[in-house]
Amino acid sequence: MSGMPPMVRLEGLVKTRSQSESVFELRVPSFEVGPGRMVAVIGESGCGKSTLLDILALVMEPTMVTRFEVVTGPSIPPVDAAALWANGDEAALAALRRDNFGYVLQTGGLLPFLDVRQNILLPGSLNGGRVPSERIEALAVGMGVAGCLDRMPASLSIGQRQRVAILRALAHGPRLVLADEPTAAVDKGRARSIMDDMHRLARDESVAVVVVTHDVDLVMDRADLTYTFDLEHESDSVTRSVCRPVTGGMP
Amino acid sequence: MSAGPLRRIPFLAAAHLRHEWVLTLCLVIALAAVISPLLVLLGLKHGTIQTLRERLVEDPVFREIRPTQTREFAPAWFEDLAAWPGVGFLTPTILPLSSVLSVVLPDTSGTTLFDLIPTAPGDPLLLENGGTVPGEGEVALTAEAARLAGVVVGDEIAARVTRSRGGRGEAVEARLRVAAVLDQRAGSLPRVYAPLSFVLDVEAYKEGYAAPARGWAGETPQPYPSYDGAVLLLPAPLQPIVRSGLAINTGFGRVTEITAERVRELLGIVPPDGFACYELLAPGQPVTASSIRAVEQKLRGHSRVLLPYVRDALLRAGDRELRPVGLSLDETQAALLGLEPTPWPGFSGRLPEGGAILNSLWPNADALGQGEAVAVRAPGLAEVDFFLRVAGETILDRPVVPAELLGVLRTASQRAVAFDPDSESFRMARGGFRGFRLYAASIDDVPELYRRLKEQGVEVVAEVEAIERIRVLDQGLSRLFWLIATLGLFGGTGVLVASLYAAVERRRRDLGVLRLLGFARRHVFFFPMAQGLIIATLGLAAGFVGYAVLAGAIDRAFAMDLAPGEAFCILPGGYVPFFCLSTLALASLASLAAAWRATCIDPAEVIREQ
Repeated sequence: MSGMPPMVRLEGLVKTRSQSESVFELRVPSFEVGPGRMVAVIGESGCGKSTLLDILALVMEPTMVTRFEVVTGPSIPPVDAAALWANGDEAALAALRRDNFGYVLQTGGLLPFLDVRQNILLPGSLNGGRVPSERIEALAVGMGVAGCLDRMPASLSIGQRQRVAILRALAHGPRLVLADEPTAAVDKGRARSIMDDMHRLARDESVAVVVVTHDVDLVMDRADLTYTFDLEHESDSVTRSVCRPVTGGMP
Repeated sequence: MSAGPLRRIPFLAAAHLRHEWVLTLCLVIALAAVISPLLVLLGLKHGTIQTLRERLVEDPVFREIRPTQTREFAPAWFEDLAAWPGVGFLTPTILPLSSVLSVVLPDTSGTTLFDLIPTAPGDPLLLENGGTVPGEGEVALTAEAARLAGVVVGDEIAARVTRSRGGRGEAVEARLRVAAVLDQRAGSLPRVYAPLSFVLDVEAYKEGYAAPARGWAGETPQPYPSYDGAVLLLPAPLQPIVRSGLAINTGFGRVTEITAERVRELLGIVPPDGFACYELLAPGQPVTASSIRAVEQKLRGHSRVLLPYVRDALLRAGDRELRPVGLSLDETQAALLGLEPTPWPGFSGRLPEGGAILNSLWPNADALGQGEAVAVRAPGLAEVDFFLRVAGETILDRPVVPAELLGVLRTASQRAVAFDPDSESFRMARGGFRGFRLYAASIDDVPELYRRLKEQGVEVVAEVEAIERIRVLDQGLSRLFWLIATLGLFGGTGVLVASLYAAVERRRRDLGVLRLLGFARRHVFFFPMAQGLIIATLGLAAGFVGYAVLAGAIDRAFAMDLAPGEAFCILPGGYVPFFCLSTLALASLASLAAAWRATCIDPAEVIREQ
């Protein structure tokens, strides 16, 4: 499995964000995730993990990047996301997100005005395809939310919402799922089962999964690969964060 | 690019509105609260004006322009007037005195007098009062006339036309089919509407003339001869007192002595040597036979010849121009002048009957055979085609015709004269009419026609004021409506702009999620727009329901003042799509700010906000 080409390959990324006086600079020398693999991005808050996720999610423009490729199919040349950003092709980036990505946000990111089933079906309906309801039912049974499909998100518990969000992220068969602190709002036990679900689905569906979390324990033994950040304070106003893979042991 | 996301936008926008149904309901009610009163106002304005207008428009009386004086209108005037813009219907009428018809009552065998009024195809008074325009041999009756005569449509009435001629009463009867009985609204008087030709024949009969086409006996209206002057030839000059007496009470104004050459010029003949020659003139007016007779009276006992003349008489025979001389000499006169008498009697002022007026003498050079007919045309008010019958030769170099003929032709240059080849006689063609029935095409045309007729000096009356009052009211109400509509427009648009913008602000995170899921900026642009249109549509629907309820209530409240079918609150059909489209367009415009705001949402900024 490690021999398969990565879904996303990022090289030489620099993202500079400035806020009033202070400047934050994120550097990612190399980042990649392959199909069926779960990659964890860990670090304390403010280290730039959400920034990295937003860049991977194609909703934040890199300040500088040597290589930013997204593979959309087995025999199709990878899409040059760096070029799309350079050209400002917002529609193509949106299309790329729509067709290939799935998202799980901190609090699920479900649309409160759609019921659970409509939420799950929405990403699939955007690229014209329709997700078979058997698949939804099967996934829902697997995630233990089969009874929630016709309810509104507001009536679900937070744990149920997260599961539905995972379901929505996966239902339309994306090639890459990005999860931003998917367990932040649930207790430890539920968090572990959510992570297990994600990992299992990544393997079953051959999807590349990137999980951003501050909970190191939760992912260390589950992730196939873990990235973390080294923070350097250049000066009072400049903070630099460099992303690197964790090689054995705790960061 | 995939149209998928764009297609989902209305669904998502609707789902969002449904989710926030309380807010949506408030918005819809707010919009309906603007739309309903506007619709009611528009309906009231239109309905009131329409009801008032229809009462005018529907009743042709308000389009009628009636002359207030009886005067003569030439046929050409009618042709001119008919071509004016805004003229809907026009027919000449006759003298009011002649416009009566006795209708024989069925049971009592007595008669009653009905007004007789000419009509013609397109007569709005008939057509818009449930009638049809009667054809030849038909009439349309007012309700009162039908009631009095005891007839219904399809029956016949016996109409009697009476006249008094030479102290003797005469009458003819015509059976006329009742083609229509008009609604009460057409007038409360008993009236008979008949084709103009019938009315003219009735008028002619009453004046003593015949209507040959109907078999009604009577005289033929003969044209009177008129002249430019007269030439008086005497063997001895007149005493000054006699001479000046000729210009007193004779119709002539001046007597001048003239040369023999002048006589030749005027009459084609040269007087014998030593004859005194005078020209009698009536400056500014035609010389009639009675003037001639008056002079003859005064010259009794004098040996003389008095001959009327017409200057520059002209006839055309094909391409040839003839300058005929009018001479009627009896034997005495001819002898006095040393000429042959004409084969027609001397001048009497009366037109010879039986074609004698067509006799003529031709110069030898023309080589025409006795009894031959020469077709000629006389220029006149209307050209007159007739023929001259060759009665002999003349030594003059111009054709000689009876002086009466030239007199008739001179009259024809001022009054319409026609030649009837059957009776070989001339008769007066109809000169003009004594009035008219005029209807404007619409009530809006009435003021202009009224003004133009007044300008021409034709005294008329019309319901100009009623029409003008409604126009002013319409203008005032329109202004009021647009004022209130503008206020409502600003209010409604403001509500929408604010609400849609607020909705975008409130739902930033959801819109950010949509962007994350793969909606492009241009897709989320339509989210507020779709919401604006949905709210506007619901607002319109609610507004129209509100309007229907209010309009019904208003019309019920005023039911007492309305005729069946009338309503005070009417929305014209054309206004509905206009109103709907305007509202939707405005809603789209109102959503632009929110739409722009939606495109500015940065998913990276909002997806983590909570």
